[in-house]
Amino acid sequence: MTLHCLLLLVLSLCVVLPSSSQTPSVSAAASTPASASKPITDSDLANVPVPAADARAKGDTDGSQTGTASDISVSDAKKGITIGDLANQVGQNKIAINFVWTLITGFLVMFMQLGFALLESGLARAKNANHTMMMNLVVYGVGMLAYWLIGFSIQMGGVGAIANLGGTPPLNAEYVITLFGKPFGLFGQHGLFLMHGGTYDVGVMVLFLFQMVFMDTGATIPTGAAAERWKFSAFIVTSFLFAAFTYPLFANWAWGGGWLSNLGANFGLGKGYVDFAGSGVVHAVGGLSALAIAMILGPRIGKFTRNGRPQAILAHDIVIVLTGCLILAFGWFGFNPGSTLGASGNGALRIGSIAANTMLASASGLLSAMLYMWLVYRKPDASMTGNGFLAGLVAITAPCAFVNPVGAVLIGLLAGVLVCLSVSFVERVLKIDDPVGAVSVHGTCGIWGVISVGLFADGKSNYGGSWNGVNGSVTGLFYGDASQLVAQLLGVATLLGFVFVLSFVFGFVIDLIVGQRVSAKSELQGLDLPEMGAVAYPEFELKAEM
Amino acid sequence: MKLAGVLVTLLGFIVSILSLLLGSTAGRLAVVLLGLALSLFGIIGILNRAHLKNPIWKKG
Repeated sequence: MTLHCLLLLVLSLCVVLPSSSQTPSVSAAASTPASASKPITDSDLANVPVPAADARAKGDTDGSQTGTASDISVSDAKKGITIGDLANQVGQNKIAINFVWTLITGFLVMFMQLGFALLESGLARAKNANHTMMMNLVVYGVGMLAYWLIGFSIQMGGVGAIANLGGTPPLNAEYVITLFGKPFGLFGQHGLFLMHGGTYDVGVMVLFLFQMVFMDTGATIPTGAAAERWKFSAFIVTSFLFAAFTYPLFANWAWGGGWLSNLGANFGLGKGYVDFAGSGVVHAVGGLSALAIAMILGPRIGKFTRNGRPQAILAHDIVIVLTGCLILAFGWFGFNPGSTLGASGNGALRIGSIAANTMLASASGLLSAMLYMWLVYRKPDASMTGNGFLAGLVAITAPCAFVNPVGAVLIGLLAGVLVCLSVSFVERVLKIDDPVGAVSVHGTCGIWGVISVGLFADGKSNYGGSWNGVNGSVTGLFYGDASQLVAQLLGVATLLGFVFVLSFVFGFVIDLIVGQRVSAKSELQGLDLPEMGAVAYPEFELKAEM
Repeated sequence: MKLAGVLVTLLGFIVSILSLLLGSTAGRLAVVLLGLALSLFGIIGILNRAHLKNPIWKKG
């Protein structure tokens, strides 16, 4: 009875009292019509009061005198501040906000490199920890230089105007062929060395930094699948080719104004291939390259018994594995919301829902993977729970900007189960040894993310009224547009039929010339000493090979 | 075998692209799915099988 009275009291208070949440209340003043006003003139601006110099000299304790009209740059000191100065300052502030946003989110994505390094090294055995960490470090330098030399040019050299970054006008040279009577953009041509074609430009530099860390995320994925048996020299050549050609080509087709992005404008397929932050461009490209390399390398010694039954090779430090997962999840808030390339401009305020969707999908992926493992294998396996966490993030990366929160949770839930099934399939059926589950987390769930755009995009997003040059919002099958799903599947077909093939051919040629795999002796000893010249943990006596 | 796997995988991609010649969404969907199936067969059914012919666990 007392409880009922309390409930009634609380309910009545909710009805009577005004809202005290963060939602702003609408004031009476806002609803009254604005009084008639005359246009602002330069003389009005000249009379705007600014803090006196002697007042400023005493210090600004409450911040009310810093950042006023006196801080606006003027083009002519004699005339003082004008409407033109004011408009230019507003424009520069918009671009400045977007530059800062894109750079900081790019720095967050760079921090993901540490997450990958810890995750992969922890899942490897202690005798390979130095080698695995080194691959994750060196891929950053090798990949970046290859991307600076040619990769960025191929990817973004013909992207055209990016309004959020001030237009990036030098990136205007896409190589185009005609197929089926329509233009097919194949690769960009401006931006070699970040100098060619006028690309020594502040906006282009911001775009380069942001795109570079994305490429590097993709380039580091194969190091996990090939861990504990990959020759260091072969890894370097592979990473160079990935950053220079494999990644930039598909990224051009999806993001750089290439043919996939124009499937909507040219062939009426939805809004063209849509992949907001790179489930396909980054993760599936990295995952499929990882599959090609793992296939060529073959499994680690001891992974399969003589009759082909898989054996568990245990992680050497599950603590740093899960630390790596959490760092990756943190960095993902740069990956997805940063892909708006701005916090000010058309649709840029969707960064709120993009961040929330990212968070929700990671949580549902984590839980579904953990529950799946708990139900099927009787224990909530730590490494697979971590993989489920990442699977949710990978899957939401393409659709995060176009789906609602319920869609995000469903996408993550399915990704969590999918990654468990895929790991089992890759190991038991394909008999491919992938020590960290990179093929499943990034390849399988990346493809799922691409497809999910074509299913769950709710048509409610609005980034300036169009996407990929087609009016309207991205809308998936469940909300009425089946053609968007076809565009997404064409992207998947390109990933499987072109990106995988290119990765396999590169890997095969490197195997012929350099050799991909270390010797059996080095592998049994652990790669730290024969490949790197030093072990990761010299104070510990490591167990002999089983 | 490996070359055949690569070619079949690539063929799947080409078939998917050819779907753009069709007018209807359903027709395009069917052809793209056919292309995807071909590519998957090339990777899993031919290429991977070629690598499993003489695997490391059956050696020595």
